[in-house]
Amino acid sequence: MATETARRSRPAALLALGQVRYQLLLLLRSPLGFFVSLVFPLLLMICLKVITPAGPVGGLPYAQWLTPAMCAFCLLTTCYVTTITSLVLAREEGMLKRLRGTPLPAWAYLAGRFGSAFVTSVIGCCVLIATAVVFFHVRIVWHALGYFAAATVLGIVCFFLLGAAVTTVVPKSETAVPIAFGTMLPLAFISDVFFSISHPPGWLHGLMSAFPVAPVAQAMEACFSPATQSWPMPLSGLLVVLAWTAAAVVVIALAFRWEPGPMLAVRGLGRLPRWPGHSRAGR
Amino acid sequence: MRAGQAAIVVEGLTKDYGRVRAVDGISFQVGRGEIYALLGPNGAGKTSTVEILEGHRQRSGGSVRVLGLDPGAGGRALRERIGIVLQSGGTEAELTVGEMVSLFASFYTRPRDVAETIEHVGLAAQRRSRVRTLSGGQARRLDLALALVGSPEVLFLDEPTTGFDPHARRGAWDMIAGLRRSGTTVLLTSHYLDEVQQLADRVGVMSHGRLVEESTPDALGGRDVSGTVISFRLPARLRGSTPPAGPWDQPEGPAGGFTMHTDEPTRVLLALTQWAAAHHAELPGLTVTRPSLEDAYLRITGQADGEADDGH
Repeated sequence: MATETARRSRPAALLALGQVRYQLLLLLRSPLGFFVSLVFPLLLMICLKVITPAGPVGGLPYAQWLTPAMCAFCLLTTCYVTTITSLVLAREEGMLKRLRGTPLPAWAYLAGRFGSAFVTSVIGCCVLIATAVVFFHVRIVWHALGYFAAATVLGIVCFFLLGAAVTTVVPKSETAVPIAFGTMLPLAFISDVFFSISHPPGWLHGLMSAFPVAPVAQAMEACFSPATQSWPMPLSGLLVVLAWTAAAVVVIALAFRWEPGPMLAVRGLGRLPRWPGHSRAGR
Repeated sequence: MRAGQAAIVVEGLTKDYGRVRAVDGISFQVGRGEIYALLGPNGAGKTSTVEILEGHRQRSGGSVRVLGLDPGAGGRALRERIGIVLQSGGTEAELTVGEMVSLFASFYTRPRDVAETIEHVGLAAQRRSRVRTLSGGQARRLDLALALVGSPEVLFLDEPTTGFDPHARRGAWDMIAGLRRSGTTVLLTSHYLDEVQQLADRVGVMSHGRLVEESTPDALGGRDVSGTVISFRLPARLRGSTPPAGPWDQPEGPAGGFTMHTDEPTRVLLALTQWAAAHHAELPGLTVTRPSLEDAYLRITGQADGEADDGH
């Protein structure tokens, strides 16, 4: 609407870039986020390398398998766990509601979040690989590095969107960490992230292939094997990852909340919301 | 659809939460540059009304326009031009005051100068401090800075001084009064009467989701004319006589004081003082008291309570 006072908004892409910077700054200053995203996977990789007998995994030295597996784990902590904990915190503290009242578009905020998760994941993977190369004599398989990058990007997108979707069912900040880890760790265990399950029983195979973690982790691991000559993710795995990603987008579109408080209440889908003095008016 | 000079136009607004009607068909307008206060007890529907105008909530019925735009449509064009101080707005504890204000300034096309905004709310000394180290009053001033940094034409303040100590309240009032000079339209909610009296050009009193009265703070509840209390004592030489313009209440007590609640203070005073002058007497302790804003407010919302109870 053109009035004499109409103001043209700033380019949203620029605002999204600003959000990336702001989210990275917050991550660096948040002990929980920094630890979970960057320190934890590195610590775990070193511990697993030190305590695990040096036997080969699938014909490769253990560290050659462990390094990409820990990169997959880093994607889970950075994109899934940290997205849940920090988004829920921002929502429950009222930060999201405050941002909603400014000209910052919703998508620019989420894009900023994604950008920051992306940058953090890439840094995390680089630190893991560099450490493994220097101390564990892991060799980068250069001809599969492109596939590794593609699998990593796929994992970042999928796990970030899943994390953002999960926030819609997290009622308050205190439950964010247990829900994030409580869903991520069991999934990581059955998805070849901590150890390779060479011949899973049928039910376990069915379970692991129903979730998106195993396809991403296995693809990333395959890219550190010199035998890999082509895109290592089977089509069925790719479809599972894409289906979960699409489902996450639908949940975000339908149920993402900017206001603190319980899920149904705020969206007015049945339960009474907390509005000031409600108990008083009800008397 | 533009509404002339009005910055905010509310017509027949309703808001239902389930079966509870929080806002029950209210209408009011706020002119450009005006400071308008929604006053009422908790649960009266003030915050629901303001949050609909801010675009944070969808209305159930009626129409609202802010700067000629529908806040329910959620457009950026409107959010460029309004500033919001929520009742409890979140901040990033680990950012500094300067970073926080700069971040918000970056969202707007025509932001105010960051340093000047921080200075304006009195946080210049805290500019490099992390937000988590701020006191309650300082955090609230940061709220105001974040709302002002986009140089808004309309500012929403939801209970801006709740929880302040008297000194901090005074400071906040000065800041809000300063906005008047810059021509900013302000819609504030409050349950503090002195705040409304101090700041608002006009006040709408809400009770049970209805706008039960709308006036200037001075005239609230007909307070500028009605229910004036006149009291005096009779001097010794007039004891036993009956003052004119009665009936007067005569509470017991040795002083023998007379009081009257009247809607016609001028007429009563004229008769009384003429009578006293005719007897060459002074009336000791003669006072004329306007009812306090609090009296008026309690009377209005009390009436509204009565009506609502009758309705059920």
